[in-house]
Formats: sequence, C-alpha cells, structure tokens
Amino acid sequence: MSKDAFLEVNGLKKYFDATGRPGLFSRDTRHVHAVDGVDFTLRHSEVLALVGESGCGKSTLALLLMGLEKPTAGTIHFEGRDITHISEHERKDVRRKIQMIFQDPYESLNPTQSIEEIVNEPLMVHGLGADKKERDERVKKAMEDSGLKPADVYLNRFPHELSGGQRQRVVIAAALVLEPEILLADEPVSMLDVSIRAEIINLLAELRISRQIAVIFITHDLGSVGFFADRVAVMYLGRIVEIGTMLDVLEKPRHPYTKALISVIPVPNPRLRHERIILQGETPNPIDLPTGCRFHPRCPVAIATCKASDPPFVILSKTHKAACLLLVK
Amino acid sequence: MNSSEPKQQWLIRLQSFWQTFSKNRIGLVGLAMLALLILMAIFAPLIAPYTSSSSAEFQVGDIYNPPSASHWFGTDDAGQDIFSNFVFGARISLIVGFFAAFISIIIGGVLGLVAGFLGGRWENLLMRFTDTMLVIPDLPLMVVIIALTKPSLLNIIFVIGLLGWTTTARVVRSQTLAVKSRKFVLRARAVGAGNAHIISRHILPLVMPILVVQAVLVVSLAILNESALSFLGLGDPTVLSWGQMLNYAFGRGAMSIGAWWALFFPGFGIVWVVLGLTLLGQGLEQVLNPRLDTHHLMPGRPTVRKDRVEAQTKFTKETVLEVQNLSINYINEGKPPARAVENVSFTLNAGELIGLVGESGCGKTTLMLSLLRLLPSAGQIVDGRVFFNGEDLTTISDEELNKIRWKEISIVFQGAMNALNPVRTVGDQIAEAITRHMPDFPKDKIQARVIELLDLVGIAADHREHFPHQYSGGMRQRAMIAMALACNPQVIIADEPTTALDVMIQAQILELLDSLRKKLGLAIIFVTHDLGVVAEICDKVLVMYGGVTAEYAEVDTIYNEPRHPYTQELIKAFPDLTKPKKKLTSIPGYPPRLDNLPVGCRFAPRCPAVFARCQTEQPILHNLGNSHIASCHLVEASK
Repeated sequence: MSKDAFLEVNGLKKYFDATGRPGLFSRDTRHVHAVDGVDFTLRHSEVLALVGESGCGKSTLALLLMGLEKPTAGTIHFEGRDITHISEHERKDVRRKIQMIFQDPYESLNPTQSIEEIVNEPLMVHGLGADKKERDERVKKAMEDSGLKPADVYLNRFPHELSGGQRQRVVIAAALVLEPEILLADEPVSMLDVSIRAEIINLLAELRISRQIAVIFITHDLGSVGFFADRVAVMYLGRIVEIGTMLDVLEKPRHPYTKALISVIPVPNPRLRHERIILQGETPNPIDLPTGCRFHPRCPVAIATCKASDPPFVILSKTHKAACLLLVK
Repeated sequence: MNSSEPKQQWLIRLQSFWQTFSKNRIGLVGLAMLALLILMAIFAPLIAPYTSSSSAEFQVGDIYNPPSASHWFGTDDAGQDIFSNFVFGARISLIVGFFAAFISIIIGGVLGLVAGFLGGRWENLLMRFTDTMLVIPDLPLMVVIIALTKPSLLNIIFVIGLLGWTTTARVVRSQTLAVKSRKFVLRARAVGAGNAHIISRHILPLVMPILVVQAVLVVSLAILNESALSFLGLGDPTVLSWGQMLNYAFGRGAMSIGAWWALFFPGFGIVWVVLGLTLLGQGLEQVLNPRLDTHHLMPGRPTVRKDRVEAQTKFTKETVLEVQNLSINYINEGKPPARAVENVSFTLNAGELIGLVGESGCGKTTLMLSLLRLLPSAGQIVDGRVFFNGEDLTTISDEELNKIRWKEISIVFQGAMNALNPVRTVGDQIAEAITRHMPDFPKDKIQARVIELLDLVGIAADHREHFPHQYSGGMRQRAMIAMALACNPQVIIADEPTTALDVMIQAQILELLDSLRKKLGLAIIFVTHDLGVVAEICDKVLVMYGGVTAEYAEVDTIYNEPRHPYTQELIKAFPDLTKPKKKLTSIPGYPPRLDNLPVGCRFAPRCPAVFARCQTEQPILHNLGNSHIASCHLVEASK
C-alpha cells in the first residue's frame, strides 16, 4: 500500500447476476460486469473526478465504496485498514468518515422530514453530540457551511419549499454534520440549472480547502469538473481507461475515448466551434463484453490487434497512465 | 431530551393537514356524519329516553307501535322503544368496528411492512399466506368460527379483526416497496442508519397516510361484518347491536305485520355509518395522496385578449415565424395575474436555429407553448402576435390552428421516456403520428414513410418493431424527433431535448438536429438552460430572465460582446475547458417568482452592477443595432 494513499482500491469487481432466477440445472450464469477490475488511490483532501458515460459502472463503484454493495472481488483499504468485508457494526465508524451526495436532490430528501430533522438525523444515527445544545450547534454549523445562511430560516422548512440548489445544499449539510473525511458526490449537479451548478461546485471546492475533505466527484460531464479536480479517471465499461492529473487528461489526453469525450464538451464560445469526435452508438451492454480492448467497436482509430488483446496500462508519466494498444511501444 | 420540539412539529403538521382537509367537502361531510354518531354513542344515556337492555323484560309501549311523538322510531316486538335501542346500538356497532379494525390494521400493517421491507423469501412467504387468506370468503368462515365458539362480543371482535387484515397487508406492502426504493432511503443507509431507524423514520411516515385511509375503510367493513353476523343470529345475545335489532325484527314477524320501522331504523344506522366512513376515507385519500390532487394548470382552452395593439408586419420572404411583443399572464384566482412572459419578440428564418435560454421558471416553456396556443386554461395571451408565414396564430380559429399544429410546427418534448407509450412499438407510434395528423396519407405507403423517418434520425429500419424500453435514452430521443418530423413541418420546437442525456449522446442529438435543418431546411427553436449547447449549434440566441427578454442577438455577439449583466454572469458560470484553471463565478440568489416580481428590473436583486434606478424602473428593450437587443439601464447610458 502506497504511503500517502488513504483510500486505496485494488482490482475491485462487481458482477451482477443477469440470468434473473437461474433454473436449478442451468450452468451458464450470465453476468453484468458492472465494475470489472478498478484500481485507484485517493490522497488526503484530494479531488478525484470519475468520468464516464451511463453504463460505465461509475455509480456501482460508488455503492461499493460506500459498502452498500458487496464486491465480487478486490479490496478497499481505508486509512490502512481493509474495509472490504467488515461487518455492519465495524462499518459504522467508516460510514461516518465517508459520506455520499446523490444526483437527484428531489429524490434524496424525505418529503415528510423538516430540514432540521434531515440534517440532525446522521447525528442521531451515530449517537453524536453530548446534548441537544451541542447537536443544534453542529446542525447549524453544517448548514451554514453549506451555504444555508442563516440556518434558522431553513430549520423548520420542508424539502418541497426549497429550490433544487438549496435542496442539494441540505444534502451536503447532512453529510457535513458528521465531519467526514471523504465526500462521494455522484453527479451532484447534473439535475441543476447551469447557474446553480457553479454554486454547488464552488461550495465543494471551498469545503475541500476549509475542512480538508477529499472528494470523489462522479460525473458524465468532464466539463463540469475542470478547475476543481486534482486528478481525473476516465471509466469505460467497468474499467478505468485513463487516469492522470487534471491537466494531463484535459490537455494531453492519450486514450481515444478520453479524446472523444473531451471533444464533445460544449465550449461556450461559437468562435471556438471545433471538430467533434462523436462516437456512434452507445456503451455496449456489460453482459457480453467485446473481446480484446473493450472500446474497440466504437474506437475511431482501432487497429486489427485491438480485437484480440486487452491493452495493459501504459505509464506515460509519473502521474499519467492510459490503457491503449496504440500507446504500447 | 428534546421531546418538546418534535411535538411542535407534529402540531404544525396536524394544522397544515387540517387546513387542507377543511377545504375538502366530501371528507368534511363524512367526518360530520361520523362525529354525530360517535357523540350519540358517547352520550347515549342522556339522549335515549329509556334505558336499553335486550335482556330486560320491561315493556315501555305496545308491541310494534308505529313512530309517534312518544316513540320517535316506534316500538319493537317486545314493546321496547326503538329510538333508545338505536342510540345504544350505535355504541356496540362502533365498539366492534373500531376494535376489530384496530386488530386488522395492526396485523395487516406489520405483515405488509415486514414483507415489503425485507423482500425476498420472507416477502414470498407472507404474501402467499395473505393471498390464501384473501381468497377464503370471510363471512362463511366467520360464521363457522363463531358457531364453534361462544358468540360473545369479544369473540366477535377478534374473529372480525383476525380475518379482515388482508387488503391492508397488500396495500401497505406495495407502498413500502415504493418508498423503500426511493433515494432518501439509500441516503439514510449511506449515513449508517439501521433497519429499525429506516422503518420508523423513513418508511412509516410515508406509509402512514395510506394506512389511515385504509383504517377508515376497514372500520366500515368491520361494522358491516358485525351487522351481518348479528343478523344471522350469531351476535352476542347479551347486547343489542343494529344487526341484532334487525335479526329480532326479521325473526319476529316485523315484515309480515308491516312494521317497517323496526327494520328501517337499524338499517339506516348501518348505511349512515358506512356512508360516513366511506366519504371520510375518500376525503382523506384526496388530501393525503397528492397524486389525486387536481393541478391548477389543467389543460383547457386559453384565452386570447382581443383588445390588443394592431400588429405591424414587416416580413421578408424567408421569415417563417415572427413573434412580436408577446405577453402572457397566468390568471390567479383572487390575486393579480402572474406575468409569466412580457413583451418578447424574435424572428426565425427557414433553416435557422434559435436558442431560447434561461433558468427554470423564466417563462421559456410558457412562451413555447403559447406559440401553438397550448397553454393551460389559466394562461392568457394578453398582448402581441405570433406570425407563421404571415398568418397571425393568435387570432385564427381552432380548426385553422389544428392545420398548423404538428403539421407545420411540431414539438420534441424533454423526457422521451414519458412521452412514448410503453406498450406499443416505436414504429406503430410513428405511424400513428402520421395517420392522426394526415388522415389522407395512403395506407400502403405508411410503413415506407416510417422507415424513411427512422432512417432520417439514424435508427435502423428493423428497430421499428421494438418497444420503447428496448431503446436507449438517446434512441428514444431520436424516435421522438422522427415523430416530430412525421408531417414534414417547417418549424420544430425542441424543449430541452438533451437535458437528461450523457454528453456523448447529447453531441449525437445535436449533430442530428444540425444535419436535419441543413437537409430539410427546418427552422428550430432550441429551448435549453445550457449555454454550451447553444454556442455549439445556434445562429441566434434569446436570453430570457423572469419572463422578459434580457438579451437577443446573433450567437457570436451573445458570447463575445454580451451587454446584459445576466448574460455576462451566465457565461462566467459556465465551465470552459479551454480555461480549466479558471474558477467559476456563480450568480447568487434565485430567479424571481412570477407572482412576486420586483418593481424595477427583474434581475436587480441578483445583478452585480445594480444601481438605484434598477430598483424602481423596469428597463425597456434597447435596440443596439444589427438586431441586438438588451433590456438594461446600463446599455442606455452607454449608447
């Protein structure tokens, strides 16, 4: 385990049964290869963007990291400790330190709870806070840190009385109240208007500095993480195909899939309209994986050998690696 | 402990519930009917002129006397006062009803909750048991059990209670399943909450409303069952319920004597309580289940005000659509109208793509719907004109407008999954779009046309036999576009067609729209909140804010020489990968509510360049030349 990694994922796999209910005698169970061998490390107060299209396994990966799904293979180490298969009881402490923010702020709040109840709930679950006064203070601090200022205005409101951006702030406050060390944000802004997206991303960027929180930012839109991510990992069909610092990936992408993803990000200036590499079709279904490189059927630069052999990671620099046969010298 | 605060919350919720419920007439009538009966049961000794007792031998009048001043409901076979028996009988019926229902609700609620929450094997087992209980006819089984045991009131309560829980279990299970799969339950798990916490804090509060409605119905069922059992002679002989009264009257010749009152009044009591409970249940359901609520934005016929300013037409040949000074209000009962759109103008030429940009609630959907007069009934076009090929769409008749809807101007809606019928093939649905709008289309050519349309949007012909769920999100959106193209329209309104899609699929759809307008000469109105998309494909941009035009210009002007602070801020808020290190600026605050607009400039509360005049005076549209329009006082100053 590397020295400065505080979350380390090795060979993580999650296969779902795709046969439905297999008959007693059916032997060939088919699998959805949702996550199929993912390795990465996360450092203290680092922002890692996990980017990929729907169906690339990024949301399953989030559930695995949260311990909400059990991995088929591989390990997850947190603060030097193997948390892959710990019991629910042992996990409680880990849960306090790794919190998640969901995509849809409309769905991820219970409509019958007031904002105070929502933000206070995690404290209750973990039995934190000595008395009501201390809990109230923590709730208010988390809310104000999340931009719900002054907190008193919001405490007795209900989710339906808030706008989309405010609801996402409530979700963030309910995560912050536990003082987590990692925030896992699964598409936290894709349901919000553009003008509000910037607010939420800026908020996460501030929190990361003021509270030293590491963030895993899961998104399909590379554009939305630009300035904010330290490193970017691009996923395709259950695997990371390219990983590097933000500038490595955005300015010198080496994997053809990353190049295509970057080319289709809208640029807010008509003078900079450029040739886009539009991949045809969609991510193939993860039951019958393509042979060889799993990107070859959609790859604009595929060569004959791509069909046959699965590309290994090619180390491009100290921080940058990509899995493509064209990079193998 | 913090017990005082949750209680206050409860009180607030109860108050807000009562506020809604007190407006529900059906529920109130039911509640009043039930309350009357309960009061009568409680104060029975004060109301009834005679103490009732079925076993007592005393007689208060003659046998089967018709209703009179001394015996309002007449007398029965034993010469007892029926009104007194009726008043005391209410006690028995209500006691049996409520206690039996209590047992049913507890059993059904727990089973349903456990089955729904645990799922898997437990659910299978419990629900098969429930199904079995459900198919056994209740009444014969009750008759058998009561006949075998002593017919005491307690036994009757237990038998009715123990057999009446099946529907509750099913209703609770399905609601539990629905709530369990919602994201906030997953979020609670991620926080570390255990099952007990999730059930008590997240599942129960959302199951409770349905359980309350169900409870009311179970009470009425239990009362009916008790009456039936008593009528059959299986009631507790020591107490006199309404069913028992019917049983005695029926068995002791009331029918042959013609003493209708001995049967009518207990029967009336049963009908009264069941009707009251049913109405209350219906009222509660309307209040507690928001899906049954009728929305104030029901479709209907919007009105067009007649006393508008005369139009000034100045078309060029290639102008397909010209919107002039369009204003739309939503009529609000008892309040001033909401000015949803005010004084918006734009022109659209053939083959042109205009971007209609703004945050949610800025009036862009209202504007778009008003073009085809598809506004909800509260919507009113109060000013302005919409010219399509020189014809004013705001004044022509519905028949004439129908010739234009879909055939000349069609719409691609956002959320393609909801707009497609899940049980019909995509090909069928496209064929229907053709035949519905063009009944004369030759039947033998429809399939060829469907294939042609699918080909236009890049879907292989053999996919027309597939159902929407077999399509991916991107393909569904393509199918929606094919449907919009069915009648060769000149204009397509695309309402956030790429909002829910991945960037790669979004790029595919944008490429498709761009190629269609080149190939077919289509004019497209692209409604979106995403400035990046607009920059990629649009020719002109209309930026709306709070129902008014903020800025309108060629796409290059909007991005490189924006004059309105809102446009400038929007662009700064958009992530630009060509400058990855740049921090995003956000626009603090939220768009104004259309029913509570600021007096001056609608953007003033959020504007970084605001000054005194903005607070009091709404800026007019300033023409900056080269069809560049901006509504900002600063523009006037610098002009």
